Amino acid sequence: MWTRLLRPIDDGHGVPDSVLTLTAIVLLLRPLDVWWVAPIIIAAACLSLLSRAVRHAPITWMLIALLIATRIVVVWPLSDNHIYLLAYWCLAIGLALTSATPAATLSRGSRLLLGGAFAMAILWKAVLSPDYVDGRFFRVTLLTDERFADASLVFGGLSREQMKQNREFLKPLPEGAALLTPPSFVEPPRLRAFAIVATWGGLILEGLIAVACLIPPRARLDLARHALLLTFCFTTYALAPVAGFGWLLATMGVAQCRPGQSVLRGAYVAVFILILMYSEIPWTGILADWAVR
Amino acid sequence: MTGSVDPGSHGGWRALLPVTLLVAVAGVQVMLATTAGLSAWKGGGFGMFSTTDDGGRRYVRIFVTAPERSEEISIAPSLEDAARRAAVLPRDAQLSTLARRVVERERRYQRPVDAVRIQNWRVEYAKETLAATPRMTREFLYRVDAIAAPDR
Repeated sequence: MWTRLLRPIDDGHGVPDSVLTLTAIVLLLRPLDVWWVAPIIIAAACLSLLSRAVRHAPITWMLIALLIATRIVVVWPLSDNHIYLLAYWCLAIGLALTSATPAATLSRGSRLLLGGAFAMAILWKAVLSPDYVDGRFFRVTLLTDERFADASLVFGGLSREQMKQNREFLKPLPEGAALLTPPSFVEPPRLRAFAIVATWGGLILEGLIAVACLIPPRARLDLARHALLLTFCFTTYALAPVAGFGWLLATMGVAQCRPGQSVLRGAYVAVFILILMYSEIPWTGILADWAVR
Repeated sequence: MTGSVDPGSHGGWRALLPVTLLVAVAGVQVMLATTAGLSAWKGGGFGMFSTTDDGGRRYVRIFVTAPERSEEISIAPSLEDAARRAAVLPRDAQLSTLARRVVERERRYQRPVDAVRIQNWRVEYAKETLAATPRMTREFLYRVDAIAAPDR
């Protein structure tokens, strides 16, 4: 048993190197923030990039999964959701590497994990949250979250002055208090439309991905699932400030590619790099500066 | 079969265990969110970007009382972590931890403290107008040298 965990699986049906390499890169791009967990994970990720034996050893990924789970417990309940998904993913890699058909096992594990995560996201957005379907979430977030501010200026047609005024309006006053001259609220039709598109576009796309991941795979459905996942990564992470989640989704998409699907695999790697560009280049800020000039 | 990755039944328990854990954790998150006030954004239930009720719109107010003292205190840097946890998940465990840290800090500065009262607040937005209103969601009383008292 123990030697099986330490021994790299002989290739043939093995997990593609690209999946393991991208996962190690994800771990390095956004190190975890607990001092006694982060260095071990960073070291393991570095070693797995340098050594094929470490990269293909199940114990590497099981250890990383355990450390990420420990981090989740230590900072409970503050971890973001992609940290949970990262832990499940590393566990899925470790378990797949001990199986007789690692690539197929990981592909299925990846599909089910994505299906579970997107199904839960849909449950929250469509059923459990009181303020998503009625559009409040994006109407408020596009104005109050600094990370979406430039997109609101560009796509919502707001001026910087109106943005400032709206933020004042959305600041809560102490209970019972009222201002003599309350700030007015400006919501141009384009901004309202942007919020509606973000609300329903996200909901529909995530719902389709959940369905495509959870129903039994068929050839045509596989292509639709990949197309949906790539579309989600391409559009969502242009605005959503959670590159770590996007990188993980792209990596999990690579794990679902069949051996002959090199173009599809290349598309996921391209999206991985695109998300990196999205996160490092303030493109909406540049557009906003240009638009209001 | 080797050319066909994921025909739908490969891997057995190895493929199922990670998603089983995901569903189990997410189930607990939904339960805590609906019964104990856990923010939808946290806890592994994938409720991020689904509601305005995130950690940034939740906050705690802390009041300290002693025989000649009754005042609201600001959240010192040493209390920030515990305050964030108590805001995101306002259960007795998180609130008691925060209250204990408050007591320790007050004693470090030789300030008397008999009880710590913690209020959990969150900002809500009106459906059409988006008018913002703070709403208290819980009040917790921690008596020094006694077990935390139940909610009032």
